[in-house]
Amino acid sequence: MPKCIKSGGQAIDYAAKLLSPEEEEPFEEHLKNCLDCTEAVQSFRTVLQLTDQAQAELRVPELALQDIEMNVYKRLAAAHEQTLLSRVRASIANFGSLFRGPRIAIASAIAIALITVALLMGNLFRSESVPPLPETYSAVARIEQYRQQDIQRNLEEALITHHLRNDAWDTESRLYRMKEQADGTNWMAVADAHLQNLQSGTLDTP
Amino acid sequence: MDKLIDDEMLVAQFQSGRQNAFDELMKRYKSKIFSYLLRSVRNYEDAEDITIEVFFKAYRALDNWQPKAKFSTWLYKIASNLAIDYHRTKVRHPVYALEDMEIPEAHLVATDLHSDPVQQVEDQERGRIIREAVDQLSPKQKAVFMLSRYEGLQLKEVAETLDMAEGTVKIHLHRAVKRLQTLLRPLWENNEI
Repeated sequence: MPKCIKSGGQAIDYAAKLLSPEEEEPFEEHLKNCLDCTEAVQSFRTVLQLTDQAQAELRVPELALQDIEMNVYKRLAAAHEQTLLSRVRASIANFGSLFRGPRIAIASAIAIALITVALLMGNLFRSESVPPLPETYSAVARIEQYRQQDIQRNLEEALITHHLRNDAWDTESRLYRMKEQADGTNWMAVADAHLQNLQSGTLDTP
Repeated sequence: MDKLIDDEMLVAQFQSGRQNAFDELMKRYKSKIFSYLLRSVRNYEDAEDITIEVFFKAYRALDNWQPKAKFSTWLYKIASNLAIDYHRTKVRHPVYALEDMEIPEAHLVATDLHSDPVQQVEDQERGRIIREAVDQLSPKQKAVFMLSRYEGLQLKEVAETLDMAEGTVKIHLHRAVKRLQTLLRPLWENNEI
């Protein structure tokens, strides 16, 4: 004997409380005289109870939630750096033409002048940690804070690489990367000074 | 901040330059989005990474957001799309699922003097079997089932989130429940769950 046509979709909607009041009342009347639908509703309710219970047991660790905001802003800061990096790369490609032929001397003179200015500003070489910002600070301020921290971390890694491995090529690469990240900040002069010291063999280690 | 301020008002505040409004939106939804993704990808670390990506994308797109649908629906839409991308990538690079991970010791320890550790283990096993049944649903059935059952979205909102017609959402939901009934009924009739 074929089952009641309402024991499918309508029984599921009733069990899941998806029926409107106008649909619910007639279905409840129907249930009083339909064994198929009564059994179907009971069975679907069991399915929903079991799955609801099993899913409720999956809890998000509180610890993971605590870091979400910070990690979102770090992610935004990293994306900001990537955008800057692509712009800086394009500029370097254009600037590269300076280093052909007699222009090398001019470029070197500019670099030396920049380094001299940086050396005179001794405070720039002090590696100061960026203080944490209160939660009330804007998202933009926090993104900038994480950007500054990343620049500082890259400088520290470059100096540690130099100190532990004495790998001039790797140190130089790291310093150039830090300089690219530092576009538009005082850290660029810091990077230039360290690069100059590295090339002249006078780079101090932390 | 006043909890009575609705999401759309917070978005408007963000768009007019009040950056802290985004913090409030994150505070409201980070747990829900994380839970949704955890149920979808069933791996804590990946769920956390994707949650960060959801808010990252939301932040970058929020300036141009128009209140055509609820903010929460839009957020779930970003999460759903990222979860789909994740599952596509996962096919190529399989990862350990939540159930494959070692259960942290803290979860097995009785939480009070009256709780029964054996019962706790049995409950965990029952939960695992049921969640595996949900994993056997098709991606669309699973998405519809999770959004409507666990995230409390109305069918219309599920339809907006998943870019489906409301009727299609209902069909997927019916198929999902029937499939789960087929998978789970023998188990509960034999007292296995």
